Amino acid sequence: MIFDIIIDHLPYLFGGLWVAIQLLVALLAVGFVLGIALALAEVYGPRPLRWFGMAFERVFRGIPEIVLLLLFFYGLGDFYPIEPFPAAVLALGLRSTAYQSQIFRGVIQAVPRGQMQAARAIGMSRAQAVQNIVLPQALRQAIGPWTNEFSSELKATSLAYVIGVVELTRQGRYIISSTQGNILVVFAVIALMYFVVNWLGNRALYGLERRYAIPGYGETR
Amino acid sequence: MTDFLSFAVEYLPEILAALPVTLGLWVLAMILGFTLGLLLATGRLYGNRVVYGLSTAYVEIFRGTPMLVQMFFIYLGLPEIGIVLDPFLAAFVAIGMNSAAYQAEYFRGAVRSVPPGQMMAARAIGMTRMEGFRSIVLPQAMRRVIPQWTNEAILELKYTSIAYAIGVSEITARAEKIGNTTFQFFDVFLLLAVIYVILTGIVAQVLQIVESRTAIPGVNR
Amino acid sequence: MAKLLEVEDIRKSFGSTEVLKGVSLSLDRGETKVIMGSSGTGKSTLLRCVNRLDPADSGHVRLDGEEVTDANVNRMRQRIAFVFQDFNLFLHLSARDNITIGLRKLRKMSKADARQRADRELDRVGLSDRADNYPSQLSGGQQQRVSIARALAMDPDVLLFDEPTSALDPELTGEVVSVMQSLARDGMTMLVVSHEVGFARRAADAVIFMDGGHVLEEAPPKEFFSAPKHDRARQFLTAIGEGEAA
Repeated sequence: MIFDIIIDHLPYLFGGLWVAIQLLVALLAVGFVLGIALALAEVYGPRPLRWFGMAFERVFRGIPEIVLLLLFFYGLGDFYPIEPFPAAVLALGLRSTAYQSQIFRGVIQAVPRGQMQAARAIGMSRAQAVQNIVLPQALRQAIGPWTNEFSSELKATSLAYVIGVVELTRQGRYIISSTQGNILVVFAVIALMYFVVNWLGNRALYGLERRYAIPGYGETR
Repeated sequence: MTDFLSFAVEYLPEILAALPVTLGLWVLAMILGFTLGLLLATGRLYGNRVVYGLSTAYVEIFRGTPMLVQMFFIYLGLPEIGIVLDPFLAAFVAIGMNSAAYQAEYFRGAVRSVPPGQMMAARAIGMTRMEGFRSIVLPQAMRRVIPQWTNEAILELKYTSIAYAIGVSEITARAEKIGNTTFQFFDVFLLLAVIYVILTGIVAQVLQIVESRTAIPGVNR
Repeated sequence: MAKLLEVEDIRKSFGSTEVLKGVSLSLDRGETKVIMGSSGTGKSTLLRCVNRLDPADSGHVRLDGEEVTDANVNRMRQRIAFVFQDFNLFLHLSARDNITIGLRKLRKMSKADARQRADRELDRVGLSDRADNYPSQLSGGQQQRVSIARALAMDPDVLLFDEPTSALDPELTGEVVSVMQSLARDGMTMLVVSHEVGFARRAADAVIFMDGGHVLEEAPPKEFFSAPKHDRARQFLTAIGEGEAA
């Protein structure tokens, strides 16, 4: 009986999961691009940019996800209409930017100073040195902390529920109201789906980390 | 800008009226998380196979799934087996149990980071294992855990906003209500965001002072 | 005839401390000069001013008559190579790729050409069999030889060495010194900050003695080690075990 309900509704659950994954990928991509840009600005940029970066991090890390979602959906909606999904990408993506820029700033600053100097000494410009020497080392070290960010954002996608994105959690609520019950089982199945995606993502990122590991690098520091 | 300021002045008291709910939820959940977290950490560190397995499963499940799903499970699901909690209680249990999983890992990591020589030295002056743990290892571990615990406290403060999704009238719910009557969603959620930034800023400052007060010279991390 | 490298009246302060108080020196093509002096006398700073890793407060550096400025520094550094005390090999690259990266990114050489050139330089420093090793898999001496190969690959006019052996265990300095000696024999122009007296005796055309931010004397090694003109130089030689006491 319960299993029938689950199996009948599996397409909806997977549909919701797919939306959640799309949201996750989009927000992580926004956070990745802007996060690296912000981190570079903070490490190498002029002082005003540094201050801007610090302020941005502070503000976006200080606001709960739900509040950002409400602000970017209903709040922006005061000025022009925005769909729930792009609003969620924007809200969670900017928040992820704050967290990712912190990760990238940390690993960039952890690259030994001599690396930049040696790159400059063979005639590379600062930009060339960052691109060819600093970032390849820093990004490898970033995979570990980035895995945490992945997990935390996967779970954060469920909060897009509150602005009406029809992702996995909202699909669960739909199923519950349409079948009048089975709440524990439905939420257990949903939890399991998040759990599995999280586990798979962590495994993949761990594999990536090992694949790009450099013998002896980062072990002592 | 002046519009926003006059809006803020008008509605700030109304939002802040719900602040005790937010803060109460936060403090109670942190206490539950702390207590349960210590138990779980002990289970993972010193438990027999069954205790270890159970506490590990708990930690993995709660860290691998979204808090919103956990909250729905508790608030909407548990009544199916006769456990009915009002929204505040359900939110308190959900946030506390979720936090326990994270706090357990911080405690466990901190205990394991105390050098083994400390316990050996305690045994060498005649302490039992229990005494050594209580008066030598634990005090050091607790100091090491404070920075992570600070982070966790700030995260949990923001997570209390999720209780809005099950109808707890904390500050986010109050702000939404104001939005629904004034239709000034941007202003009200911006105001709410500012409140959270200031709130988390204050908490971070206070906890930083605690951190520096309890620091042991030369023992960092 | 113009000198290959001319360093003229370099001054450099860090905060309120003046480290270089007007230093001048010059090198002809094919010359090797060794800079000696107690620690804290500005030798390394001088070297870093030459290729502008630390820009001088005033003074001039000219290579082949062309002044090194902020505008041309990246191009000039390819001609004034620098070997660091602590090697600074690129940690994410194999020995070979430490050498190819400059060739590929700056000289726009093809992958195959760069690789061929890198292998030739590795052979020159005796490390052909270590091309695929990462820095952490090499001894200090091997790392320093790779870093010399990296410098050589850019076909520099001048090589600057900043205490290339002082981070090495004593038993590893020999391999680096012998590479440097063979470079000097081959006619490389080198300016070396080092306390390797053996190297200075065998390979240097002159020893430059620095003290307190000044060049106190410059003399052929034979002359400098047997009859230094200044008391400070004599004290220094005694301190490193090379004075009349030794």
